[in-house]
Amino acid sequence: MDALLLLAWRNIWRHRRRTLINMSAVGLGLFLIITYSGLIGGVLGDAKNQLDNIGMGHIEISTPAWRLKHGAGMVLAAPAALLARLALPPGAEVGVRVVARGLLTSPRGGVGVTIHGIDPAREPAVARYAGDIREGAQLAPDDVHGIVIGDELATRLRVRLGHKVRIMVQRADGEMGAALYRVRGIFHAVVPAIARSRVLVTTAAAEELLGIGDAAHQIVIQLGRVDDAEPVAARLRAELGAGYDVATYGQLLPVLKALEGLQNGVVVVMALFVYLLVGLGILNTTLMSVFERTREFGVMRALGNRPRQIVALVVAEAFWIASVSVAAGLVLGLAVTWIGSEHTLLDFGQIFGESMQIGGAVIRSALRTEYSLTNGLKASAIVYVLTLGVGLYPAWRISRLPPAEALRAS
Amino acid sequence: MSVVRVENVTKSYAERGAVTTAALRGVDLSVEPGEFMAIAGPSGSGKTTLLNLIGALDAPTSGEVFIDGTSLCGLSPLALADLRRDRIGFVFQAYNLIPVLSAAENAEYVLQLQRVPRAQRRARVAALFAKLGLATMMDKRPPKMSGGEQQRVAVARAIAAEPAVVLADEPTANLDQAAGRALVEMMHELNRERGVTFVFSTHDPMVLAQADRVVRLVDGKVAADERK
Repeated sequence: MDALLLLAWRNIWRHRRRTLINMSAVGLGLFLIITYSGLIGGVLGDAKNQLDNIGMGHIEISTPAWRLKHGAGMVLAAPAALLARLALPPGAEVGVRVVARGLLTSPRGGVGVTIHGIDPAREPAVARYAGDIREGAQLAPDDVHGIVIGDELATRLRVRLGHKVRIMVQRADGEMGAALYRVRGIFHAVVPAIARSRVLVTTAAAEELLGIGDAAHQIVIQLGRVDDAEPVAARLRAELGAGYDVATYGQLLPVLKALEGLQNGVVVVMALFVYLLVGLGILNTTLMSVFERTREFGVMRALGNRPRQIVALVVAEAFWIASVSVAAGLVLGLAVTWIGSEHTLLDFGQIFGESMQIGGAVIRSALRTEYSLTNGLKASAIVYVLTLGVGLYPAWRISRLPPAEALRAS
Repeated sequence: MSVVRVENVTKSYAERGAVTTAALRGVDLSVEPGEFMAIAGPSGSGKTTLLNLIGALDAPTSGEVFIDGTSLCGLSPLALADLRRDRIGFVFQAYNLIPVLSAAENAEYVLQLQRVPRAQRRARVAALFAKLGLATMMDKRPPKMSGGEQQRVAVARAIAAEPAVVLADEPTANLDQAAGRALVEMMHELNRERGVTFVFSTHDPMVLAQADRVVRLVDGKVAADERK
């Protein structure tokens, strides 16, 4: 080991208790930052999670009129051909939907629902509930008589697998349309509003019910990276022209964008606060550790150490403290957030139900953390740089002291 | 050529802003290679100040100090640091070994700053410790050593890099009579056998009796320069 690092390592253990307290403060601060940001991320989830929960896309394409009125006839003609024109980035997931509002009735009663005509193979990639079938099975692609409904809706209408239900809608031609479907599956949605009012049929069944031929109302796109939403949407707008409405999730669900901002803001403010405390703590102990050795640094200057070698020694001591404490804080923070991502830490379900919805954003009642190695490494890098940076000030001060003056220190 | 030459050096310290105290008032002195010289005088006579100026630890208010013919006046802090490393050895009253280093590592410290290869400096220090009767102390850390042992290691550290002059500020002040006598005898032996030039401050009569030359300071001036 380099002689400077060896000397620095031995120096930090002169006051074992003080060094351990200092390291604990830095490590604990980092642990808090990682855990807190993981907790916030776990409660709100990232945009992709949020959109998955409600079946929205980072980008949605429809006709401009459909966006405003949701009329059955306001369709995207030949959606397959349209989809083929879109050059989407790798990793993008796409869902093509027919969407209508109607009345679903069973022998026990009726309730207003939103009908999504979907491709059963594609939909689970853009809507988590479509893949979370709790009873029965997913629809077969060619099943024009099957339906999958939410679990709360099934309970409310006392409908079970195999039961028949009837859907009544206004068709594209303005006439009333109705059809009977047999319940093939019951899905679970985190969002209660979806669990009690959304039903899924195949695209073909929905097209037939609404009388729209080979058409759809909505193309839903989820991207690999949420940050790509705006640039990709801008490109699609330019490619498709005025006949299409291309909207990002930030435009469709502004509260989600605001929550992202809030989440980042809260984490940043909290992190800054912890960084400040950690920085002051390190500065205090480093100043104490350095100035109580003033005479010793004077001896080292007398023996021929250059001022920058004194700076290097003090910074090397900060390096060891930073390395040990950051490693401990990072490992602990990642371990806790990983455990929290695998298991529920606290569950407020009895008070709030499975989730709360605020302006469309979903907040789960089961408290979990988000495990993010990237976030942990970022926070570690900041604490590391902070610790080394804070060590520079006392190092600079002591290195500028004239040797004779340093030797006179008691 | 003199190892050390001090020409009409004064040193004043500002105290409480306006009041200045003159620690040295026009000192002239030269030290030749191989001398074993004591600077004597009562407390406050300027002994430590003079050693600090010779050791390039402080700058004179006026006058000049030369080491091996090189004037210290106008040298940069880096050049002064290199000069201390290469040409001057220090022994302090309170030993001032680095407590987290072993005795051998302390003695190697200056050689390490000079970038002497590890094996070479180990061998040099081992030979030196054997010569000084410190062979059993090599791996001991200062807190585990007596004052006399620490000061002998400090002397070993001072001479390991073979400097032009070793400056010792009251090296026996913290030692008992026997340890002090043993230390001075060891220094004198090194002076006689290896030609190491020693300049040390003291007011201990036993130490003064061993010196070949005694320069007496009174109120910051050379009052007497006695050679035996």
